[in-house]
Amino acid sequence: MKKNLGISLLLLLVCVVTALVNPNFLIPYNAENLVNWVSLYAIIGVAVTFVIITGGIDLSIGSVVGLVGTVLGWLLVEKGWPVPLALMATVALSASIGLVHGLLITKVKLQPFVVTLCGLLIYRGVARWLVHDGTLGFGTAYDGLRWFANGRIAIPFLGDYRFPAPLIILAVIAGLAAVFLNKTVWGRHLFALGRSEEAARYSGIRTDRLVILSYVLCSTVAGIGGILFALDVNTVQPASQGNFYELYAIAAAVLGGCSLRGGEGSVVGVLIGTALIRVLLNAINILGIATQLEFVVLGMVILMGAVADDYLRRNRSRRQLKRATPTG
Amino acid sequence: MKRRRFLLPLALPVLAASFLVQCGPSSNGGGGKKPRVAYIGNAIAPFWTIAEKGARKAAAEYGVDVEVRMPQNGATDQKRMVEELLARGVDGIAFSPADPKNQLDLMKTMAQQTHLITQDSDAPDSPRLCFVGMDNYEAGRLCGKLVKEAMPDGGSVMFFVGRAGQLNAKERRQGCVDELLGRPEGERHDDPPDAELKGEKYTVLGTRTDEVDFAKAKSNVQESITRHPDIGCLVGLFSYNTPKIYEAVKEANLFGKVKIVGFDEEEDTLRGIQEGNIYATVVQNPHQYGHESVRILAALAKGDKSVVPASKFVEVPAKAVKKGDVDIFWTELKKQVE
Repeated sequence: MKKNLGISLLLLLVCVVTALVNPNFLIPYNAENLVNWVSLYAIIGVAVTFVIITGGIDLSIGSVVGLVGTVLGWLLVEKGWPVPLALMATVALSASIGLVHGLLITKVKLQPFVVTLCGLLIYRGVARWLVHDGTLGFGTAYDGLRWFANGRIAIPFLGDYRFPAPLIILAVIAGLAAVFLNKTVWGRHLFALGRSEEAARYSGIRTDRLVILSYVLCSTVAGIGGILFALDVNTVQPASQGNFYELYAIAAAVLGGCSLRGGEGSVVGVLIGTALIRVLLNAINILGIATQLEFVVLGMVILMGAVADDYLRRNRSRRQLKRATPTG
Repeated sequence: MKRRRFLLPLALPVLAASFLVQCGPSSNGGGGKKPRVAYIGNAIAPFWTIAEKGARKAAAEYGVDVEVRMPQNGATDQKRMVEELLARGVDGIAFSPADPKNQLDLMKTMAQQTHLITQDSDAPDSPRLCFVGMDNYEAGRLCGKLVKEAMPDGGSVMFFVGRAGQLNAKERRQGCVDELLGRPEGERHDDPPDAELKGEKYTVLGTRTDEVDFAKAKSNVQESITRHPDIGCLVGLFSYNTPKIYEAVKEANLFGKVKIVGFDEEEDTLRGIQEGNIYATVVQNPHQYGHESVRILAALAKGDKSVVPASKFVEVPAKAVKKGDVDIFWTELKKQVE
């Protein structure tokens, strides 16, 4: 938790400043929308955390979001599949994408960057080809299913504030991920192999299996995110759905303290990182700052986060070093 | 070295075969060969799917082959597509420039090598033979009139668009702004998209862009409602913007209080008009764009220059679709798409 202190304070600061400048920031309508978006983006953030911890990367997340959304729309609207079957098929599709990534990385020894970059191109192309670049709309026929992506649950003691449904899905996914990473042997092994794969292998960890598992988890969770994104916007345009979302996910993970060198990262950090990104984007809009500046602000904050993180870490290790070496 | 010698006998037949394939059609062509024309859009959207149907219908009617291309990344993809088409050889191109000012060189190259016409989005400075489409500024004026009808007592207006810099978006917006601020017809201003403009009855709050990210298109609307709780009317300038406005307003339970006016004929937009939750939409006639473009190119390819009017403008006017005429319009549209 200590590790995320800096970014948590930054998140708080942005919230307070925005709320002071425009009190509408805190009205239920905005708060609900904001939490809804944070939940959706945090799901793909959690997804990429699994592979970043192993020292890998997944650049295909945006395309997986696009492909899953397209396939879901195609199965439901064009092919008339029943909802549970279509959902299972899309989740299975995402899992198998992860499996292929994992196998190519561990058995064929390709670099994760290359494998997932090719994935980015391939899945986008397949999605566009599948529906001939047409836009798929869910119309009004799936409003029940869409509840999972934009539903609201009234809470008795919170007055007008309601609970966005995706937050529950995020809570389940993030909870499971945190338990997996911190409380299971596999999770600890994942961190170990991220630090040094060789050392992990020599100490008897089956690293290949774990790497494959991390990519399967990543794509599966990203696929669930893709389903929710598609349901939330209600129309899927295969050429643009999820474009660049992998970068939002990776940025959130890095802001949340994941090291791209591997071996470090926490689910809580990713949640706070995503929240910071979405709150910033929301603040820019409701404060009326030019939309064109969005990415400038976003880039600067991530950079500041990285610099601060690095500074704090070095400070900490210096202090530890001082404590370890007796003086005088 | 050894490996290379193995590769050579393998490569030669492949090369020869591809050479034959390339030469095939042109060597036995000449007399009976159909002219080949190209139809290039500026994005991937249902709008262009309808235009494609019109283009293909005209191709069948006028005895030409048509190649239809839709770019994913606007101007960048268009350049590649044009280069490929020119390399293969076409007898005419109907082009919708995504970035007219900066694609002048590309259009000059096209005009040198084949018949070039623009459609949907014009580039008056280019050597194009004519333009098929509507006047986006006038369509914007029409949109402004609809906003006034929807909100007769005045109020504030916000625009939503994928790319504010694209010419058709700019002109639509400007036409609407000029109409709302009560500027006389013929007086064309050039207001920056983000400026807040106050008129007597209507206030233009600004323009929000989303770079064609649907999730962002929706959150832009939500955030505008948060920032301006008393906002009166939301205007979608690109085809997908209006359905996203509809979504966000529906979730905010603001139907009736916040008016929606948009452009183009996406299904969700038409459904919204049927329900009475979207006031109106300004529609172009993409089917006609495709049809007219290919008709003109087919004639030009056969040497008939009389199809190009002196004004160099083949107008396919915009019209408003409101609750009263949405059913008839939709039935017509479905017929065109089939």
